[in-house]
Amino acid sequence: MAKRTITEEFKKGLWAENAVLRLLLGMCPALAVTNSAINGLVMGLASTFVVVCSSTMVSTIRRLVPRQVRIPTYIVIIAGFVTLADLFLKAQFPAISKALGPYVPLIVVNCMIMSRAEFFASKHPLKPSMADALGTGLGFTGVLVVLGSIREILGFGSIFDIVIMTEEAFTPWVIMILPPGAFLSLGLMIGIINHFTELRKKRSGI
Amino acid sequence: MKEPSLKDTSLGMMLVLSSTAIIVGAVLAGFFQLVSAKIEANRLEEERRAIFAVIEGIECDECYEVITKDIEVDGKVKPFRIFRGHDMEGNTVGYSFIAEGPGFSAKIRMMVGLNVVPDTLSGLRVVEQIETPGLGDKITKEKFYSQFKGLSVKPEIEYVKNRKPEKANQIQAVTGATISSRAVVNAINKNIKVVLKALEEEEFKQSQIEEKF
Amino acid sequence: MDDTQKKDPPQKTAGESKPAQSGPASPAAERFIVSSSPHLLTEENIPKIMYSVIYALLPTVLVSVYFYGLRALVLVLVCVVSCVATEYLIQRFRERTVTVFDGSAIITGMLLALTLPPGFPLKGAFLGSVFAMAVGKHFFGGLGYNIFNPALLGRAFLQATYPVLITTWAEPFSGPAGVDAVSAATPLALMKFEGQVVPHLNLFFGNVAGSLGETSALAILIGGLYLRYLGYINWRLPLGYLASMVFFSYLFWLYDPLSYADPLFHILAGGAMLGAWFMVTDYVTTPVTPMGQWIFVICAGLLAVIIRLFGGLPEGVMYSILLMNATVPLLNKWTKPRVFGEVS
Repeated sequence: MAKRTITEEFKKGLWAENAVLRLLLGMCPALAVTNSAINGLVMGLASTFVVVCSSTMVSTIRRLVPRQVRIPTYIVIIAGFVTLADLFLKAQFPAISKALGPYVPLIVVNCMIMSRAEFFASKHPLKPSMADALGTGLGFTGVLVVLGSIREILGFGSIFDIVIMTEEAFTPWVIMILPPGAFLSLGLMIGIINHFTELRKKRSGI
Repeated sequence: MKEPSLKDTSLGMMLVLSSTAIIVGAVLAGFFQLVSAKIEANRLEEERRAIFAVIEGIECDECYEVITKDIEVDGKVKPFRIFRGHDMEGNTVGYSFIAEGPGFSAKIRMMVGLNVVPDTLSGLRVVEQIETPGLGDKITKEKFYSQFKGLSVKPEIEYVKNRKPEKANQIQAVTGATISSRAVVNAINKNIKVVLKALEEEEFKQSQIEEKF
Repeated sequence: MDDTQKKDPPQKTAGESKPAQSGPASPAAERFIVSSSPHLLTEENIPKIMYSVIYALLPTVLVSVYFYGLRALVLVLVCVVSCVATEYLIQRFRERTVTVFDGSAIITGMLLALTLPPGFPLKGAFLGSVFAMAVGKHFFGGLGYNIFNPALLGRAFLQATYPVLITTWAEPFSGPAGVDAVSAATPLALMKFEGQVVPHLNLFFGNVAGSLGETSALAILIGGLYLRYLGYINWRLPLGYLASMVFFSYLFWLYDPLSYADPLFHILAGGAMLGAWFMVTDYVTTPVTPMGQWIFVICAGLLAVIIRLFGGLPEGVMYSILLMNATVPLLNKWTKPRVFGEVS
């Protein structure tokens, strides 16, 4: 693998190696909590906080951790930061914390965070690890906000709780707020993006 | 790699893992101390807001008291809290209590308000629910709440479907979300009997105090 | 049993050669071609069978127009046109042969419309048609490759999208079934929520509230028997499905005749007839082996009865067929007849 600069490490998580759209990691929160834009945003930011902190920590202690117990160690670290984020949300944003329900504690098992720790932070120095984690986290947040917005607009007729279509003008599609709506919109999103990527490859390739 | 030999022994693994756990645990304990007061305050504030929403005529921020009684629910004696709202002079304006019951997805918790003469309800607020968004969660909308205002609780609350309620003790279930609506009705019905009994005892005590004056 | 042997060949021709040769068969007949079996040359091709199904559906459409007025016809036309248009656009976009005139899109549109309540908003009908065609059919690869019955998938989508609108029914003859039509409950809803049973004769002729195509059992029967006469559907699937529903609802009825409706009510009410004659008999989404077909219809009938009696919704035909659709690849694999002399 060619050596990448810090900016490149940051950028790749936003689009080219986006956790949800490209690597299909972190699907559970991406599908479960995105029934409104604000839920997607908070979930994304909470995950970003956890991934940046845990990658930083893992990268710092990467030489101290024996290979055999590295996974439990990472999980303890990740779980610690997740609990911090959960308590913080409960104290400062009780309403949103309630809306996200069990999904904040479940960030612990988000593969995106584990993959950053295992594949990147445990093998790279501090700065690239932080850049990589921040890019991944923000890329994840972006997808969650877009997905949440699509579902909120079609399912409630509003975005970030601002009504843009009244019930008289538009009958909300209840399915968009239910789990099938999440699968459909995410599937379509990935499908459309793959289609245009292929198209661009074909055009530039010829 | 300063100590390759120690790091790769079982002792080294135990040391690393347990020290990580201890450090993380300590940090969490400290942080919890920091925010637990705030979390508790949030909970109380939410409870207070729900009480104010279901009891009409409370005149100041502190004009309610908590009566804790040991009440038997589902065969177990538990401390049960009843909230009494009053005006500036201390006259009772209504009561409220928290009812719980299984909903479509999980437990639904609600604050139920009772009028001074506890034959009718004075209001309802659902405080905790994860019903289906757009369907079951309509039980948290004003349209559903308003049906409970003045609703007779005797002999029992009933629900009807797809038509207007005819009796004083009937509500109309949310279309497409009968299970959630039924859960609310059942939870109230289950708790209201014990609450009414407790209130009778309380009133009896109150009247005895008044007679002494 | 000679009956089955006569019927199976045309069915296979239709079912299996569908994706390969969708145009008229004449060029193929002029020169030698190498292809896999079946090598039988028959008059049947996709358009011919599909248009027969369309004719078979016409009585049901006419009856619904008689009961619910022109609004019913408009609903059918909107569904058909949007299905055909969606298929055309997708095939153009994917640079495939455009096969909108083979009739399959028209059938999907008609079937979808027949599962909707008469006053259903046209915008919603359009949305359902697009979903049925795009997601139900072409996401899986088009005709012959879809796992689920597209019309039913469209209806299931609409059920989840507009749960209130799709359960708002109109009384027959209540004028232009639009906003101010007299709303009514379907026979199944009456049975489930109020404990009332609608007379069988009303169910048979269709003078009840319900979706366009679930009112008149008679009209569907005429269409179904016409298809059976042409030999395009076999007797196993529709009769097996209905018999299975009769059997299982009979068990419950026997147990407690007061709280469970009688078997005849179950097959006459709701979508049972439409499902049995036009959806269970779909070539693509049902098993091809006789054994597989038996398993399919018995399980689907059981599911329909269970959902009707114990589920949250009054009607279970749609979900019973969709759920069993998902098992078809497995059923086909398990019940594949062994080649003579084969050692496993």
